[in-house]
Amino acid sequence: MKTAKSIVLVGFLLCSLTVSAQRFFTKTGSIYFNASGNSEVIEATNKTVTSVMDTKTGAIQFAVLMKAFLFEKALMEEHFNENYVESTKFPKAEFKGEISNNSQVKYDKDGTYPVTVKGKLTLHGITKDVEAAGTITVKAGKIQATSEFKVLLSDYAVEIPGLVKDKVSNNAKIKVDCTMEPLKG
Amino acid sequence: MRKKVLLYGLLLLVLTGLGAAYYGYKEFNRKQENIAELPSAYQLPAVQLIQEFTTNEQTSNTQYLGKIITVSGNVKSIDNPEGLATVSLGDTSSMSSVRCSLDSLYTHQAASIQLGAQIAIKGYCSGFNADDLLGSDVILSRCTIEIINPQK
Repeated sequence: MKTAKSIVLVGFLLCSLTVSAQRFFTKTGSIYFNASGNSEVIEATNKTVTSVMDTKTGAIQFAVLMKAFLFEKALMEEHFNENYVESTKFPKAEFKGEISNNSQVKYDKDGTYPVTVKGKLTLHGITKDVEAAGTITVKAGKIQATSEFKVLLSDYAVEIPGLVKDKVSNNAKIKVDCTMEPLKG
Repeated sequence: MRKKVLLYGLLLLVLTGLGAAYYGYKEFNRKQENIAELPSAYQLPAVQLIQEFTTNEQTSNTQYLGKIITVSGNVKSIDNPEGLATVSLGDTSSMSSVRCSLDSLYTHQAASIQLGAQIAIKGYCSGFNADDLLGSDVILSRCTIEIINPQK
């Protein structure tokens, strides 16, 4: 009887262990964007990205505060916030989706795996379907998710005034780099 | 006489043009101001700021978004102390924090604080990230540590 009890207990413990290591997260992820046109460099980085993923289902989410995109040039940052993404009206951008080929990623084995992520990106108050290629790197109990993709600013009603049409690219390059740790509890 | 007027007029035009170009150039290349030298619009405890955002995100956004604020509280965690450090202030019993991402000029300050210390941090309020699973956080960017109180 006692052995049966302990077997159940051990089984239960094992279960809770695997469940607890199923979700990974970070609050210090990084998203870089570049919308440089012909002449000047327009780029900014946000290092306060929140991301959470579920290794079992492949569900993955990112949340980013627009005002935390930091530019080197003050004027550019002001224009970005006030005229382009209107960050006071729309403070947050979000992605919710899943890894299409999640079964091919061996989360219990260190390595780098190419993935495709599909989901919905909400930016400037507009939600669109996006698909992007990326990589999942499993290393020493942590998961690094990276991706590089392009976003058409016009898809999200981010208007580029005629005067600077050649300076700001409508086709913005986005780089995501998030190293996630196991979520306990 | 007329020639003279024309000449002065032209000179004035050129000077105005040069002035405008110089202003434009300066404005275009304007760097971010040093956060330590800027006044903060609000000063309040971290727990109170979290409470305000949790109760009403919209009102708090109107009040704090993009403003410089000074937040005081208990150091819960220090992420990435060797890089662009983030210091989290708040109640250890709660999942929520005010997450302060230090300015690149002040990342070295992270080395001078310890967990559990009472400190005050000044930075730009970037907003609120509500999350039931991970805890809801208020994010401050371009921060500098203002006061370190060694007494717990």
